[in-house]
Amino acid sequence: MTAGRERRVTLCAKTTAVSAIPVRPGKTHPLSALDHAMARHFLRLVFYFRAAPTLTKSRLMNSLSEVLSYYPAVTGRLHREPVEDAAGGGSEWRWVVKCNDAGLRLVEARAHTTLDEWLASATDGEEMDLAHSEPMGHDTSIWSPYCVQLTEFDDGAVAIGLSSAHINADLTSAILIVRAWSDAHRRACIVFPPFLHAPALDPRPNPNPNSALFSSKSAAAAASTEPAATTKMSSATFVFSDASVKSLLSDAGDASPFDALAALFWTRIAAPELGAADLTLGIDMRKRMHAPLPYAFYGNAFHFYRVRGVDLGAGLSRVAAEIRRVGEGVREEDFWEAVEWLHERRPGRREAEPAFQVYGPELTCVEVDRDAFAYGTPFEDNDGCRPAHVTCRVDGTEGAGLVLVMPAAAEGAARQVVVTLPDDVVAKVCRDAAIAKYEPTVLFAPAGVKKG
Amino acid sequence: MPTAPLPQFTSSVKLKYVKLGYQYLVNNFVTLLLLPVMAAVSLELVHRGPGEMVKLWESLHVDLIHVLCYLFAVVFASTVYFMSRPRPVYLVDYACFKPPATCRVPFSTFMEHARLIYPNEKSVRFQMRILERSGLGEETCLPPANHYLPPKPTMEASRAEAQLVIFSAIDDLVQKTGLKPKDIDILIVNCSLFSPTPSLSAMIINKYKLRSNIRSFNLSGMGCSAGLISIDLARDLLQAHPSSKALVISTEIITPNFYPGNERAMLLPNCLFRMGAAAILLSNRRRDARRAKYRLVHVLRTHKGAEDRAYRCVYEEEDSEGYSGINLSKDLMSIAGDALKSNITTLGPLVLPMSEQLLFFLTLVGRKLINPKWKPYIPDFKQAFEHFCIHAGGRAVIDELQKNLDLSAQHVEASRMTLHRFGNTSSSSLWYELNYIESKGRMRRGDRVWQIAFGSGFKCNSAVWKCMRTVKTPVDGPWSDCIHRYPVHIPEVVKL
Repeated sequence: MTAGRERRVTLCAKTTAVSAIPVRPGKTHPLSALDHAMARHFLRLVFYFRAAPTLTKSRLMNSLSEVLSYYPAVTGRLHREPVEDAAGGGSEWRWVVKCNDAGLRLVEARAHTTLDEWLASATDGEEMDLAHSEPMGHDTSIWSPYCVQLTEFDDGAVAIGLSSAHINADLTSAILIVRAWSDAHRRACIVFPPFLHAPALDPRPNPNPNSALFSSKSAAAAASTEPAATTKMSSATFVFSDASVKSLLSDAGDASPFDALAALFWTRIAAPELGAADLTLGIDMRKRMHAPLPYAFYGNAFHFYRVRGVDLGAGLSRVAAEIRRVGEGVREEDFWEAVEWLHERRPGRREAEPAFQVYGPELTCVEVDRDAFAYGTPFEDNDGCRPAHVTCRVDGTEGAGLVLVMPAAAEGAARQVVVTLPDDVVAKVCRDAAIAKYEPTVLFAPAGVKKG
Repeated sequence: MPTAPLPQFTSSVKLKYVKLGYQYLVNNFVTLLLLPVMAAVSLELVHRGPGEMVKLWESLHVDLIHVLCYLFAVVFASTVYFMSRPRPVYLVDYACFKPPATCRVPFSTFMEHARLIYPNEKSVRFQMRILERSGLGEETCLPPANHYLPPKPTMEASRAEAQLVIFSAIDDLVQKTGLKPKDIDILIVNCSLFSPTPSLSAMIINKYKLRSNIRSFNLSGMGCSAGLISIDLARDLLQAHPSSKALVISTEIITPNFYPGNERAMLLPNCLFRMGAAAILLSNRRRDARRAKYRLVHVLRTHKGAEDRAYRCVYEEEDSEGYSGINLSKDLMSIAGDALKSNITTLGPLVLPMSEQLLFFLTLVGRKLINPKWKPYIPDFKQAFEHFCIHAGGRAVIDELQKNLDLSAQHVEASRMTLHRFGNTSSSSLWYELNYIESKGRMRRGDRVWQIAFGSGFKCNSAVWKCMRTVKTPVDGPWSDCIHRYPVHIPEVVKL
């Protein structure tokens, strides 16, 4: 991995993919308070597929057009809609997606390598070449929040990159968009059609706004007047096989794979300081509500909560048990209180506070894709064409970093962990013996890090 | 005579019946004249009796030689008559290209691309104003190369578009008619702006493996009216060659014609021209008469190029920055009106019923001899034709013709809806409009269709077809999945 290496991915062309069926004029999709809070983050997903006869650019673009007919909110544009407030001030606004049928950006690219070579040798920076995204300019009416990149490898393999503003959708929604695309490509019925109903996360009739976590984040953001010391962040992916996870679980005691992996990485990231520490965790609330939302609820529905005062030196099983205890204690009530707190302080209101990072700046650990949708997106009829690998990354996570735990390609308890941490911490974690004990495959590590 | 009181009379119901009576009288004059003659003759015959008739016959002293001579004369005359008649030209069937939904250009996408490609704000606003008033819908399609940011009008992309549109249309036609490629004797392709070497006709011959003694022609540079010029050429060739089939392809390849500059008059084609193609099978074989849809009655071509103003009306040139584009002059509508007047002056006597021609002649004589202030009589072409296919060149063209020819909204519905659904597809738009009329189930046996096309030069061409068999719905074609949604109301200005 020498510095100054040639870029292996070249962008060929940029176009716009439109839906097959026109959108009814005048449609809008308002964004919830939780969506507004995510303004500083961007999602980047990459799905890798091995070569297959139907995986050609033209057929993929055809099926993309068909699936976009179901997602008028994806082909729309962000728009600041003025809001009539009770006081009649008239200066308030909120983000709304105007479903004007403008389509999403599509970038065609070529990678001058084979898929296997790429998976073996690509760095984290190179991987983001596969999910092109464009920064939001001044004019959101001509900026596409979604960008899809189709990259062809030398051996015919295809990488589908999806980048999206986090304000539009969370990781579950983004993964299910690709899932619906794969269903349309196979000409099968779309199993999880989008549920576009923004008022689902409107505040309750008797709101009780209260969020200790967001208050502290907001206070920290307001207090830091100088620009945050931009620590250079890198990323790495650890893929744990079924056996590895089972052996980890046997060490961690009675815990779920997420709890055990969160505990493992927390302790190893924090090492050698093993005193009392806090961790922010994030989970998908769609199915943890009394009136559960469908999986394909389009928008943000993640809840962030804190685990406090855990003694990292007490051993893996104690830490995992503590994480599990707090996780089980999360109530729907907490989620609604956080949403109502955000609703009162959303941007565009007079009482708005400066935008703060939701993923960070303290160490955050998120459970993604609990129901394993990402690896269940075959684009071919036989199941043999499941993705070879799926990457999920979130931009804008400066600070202590982010740990994403998601299911891996192999069936069973296999998991993969994508970490985005400061450079030196990534190097430390990649060489860490306690993690290496479980023999993970390390992919997309920064250049210069010896793969453990 | 036509002073102020007359308009009140013309609106009264009684005058309407007078007009109807006059039309029936004049149009069926010969029949009406024959009736009393036939009545008189048959009365005389009945009066005289059969015996008298036999005696009359014998008194003529007709013998075998005379009979044979008379028979020979009759046979000779009828042979000469049938041999000198022009061969009928039948339109067996035609197929139009249906663009794929991935090539769709919604208004918002078009405007977004315009704002990303054109640095000049004025050009963007101009294109937005044009698009708002254009009469186009949200389902018109541009070729894939024009969707790129920035568009990539390479030769390869143009050829790809040509192959896509032309081969799809021909494949549809082959499926509909069972045409065997080896049976095609004449191939005519018209595409105004894209003319590669080898020609598009050579491309078709190569793909479908047509015969080596095929007569192929490639017409380029002839504008939006080239479709009817190709039909005219096919008709002339079918007169010269007995028992032949002609395949006519009308299309416009728009990939190479994206205009990236700032000259306003040259930005119009970007906003209006869209992808389309039509393949038409013509035949002069008698046995095809049974399954043919239409018979070609007249083709009339009018060229106003002798006048400089008309010649420079639609002019391809380079702008000040060196970008080449098609400049549309501001007096396009008035020139089109003049060209139309020339065309219908020649067409009128061929198609109008006697009643209209008589009125026109009398008014003309009256204006010359009695009072030059009489208003010229504009013949009512609605009596000559059941259906009108006006080239969907733009909303202004259709409005102008509707006003000039005094057509109702239903007569121009095919043109307006084709403009809305497919945009201005240049020479093939007439065939999309004809397909609309058929898909709506309005085409009956004996109906006459008038196709009018305008083109650069300035040309106005007309074709008259007569329907030979009622076309049953549902019709397989580009309208099959959306005809139930039409007609739609097209607002004057779409708010963008």
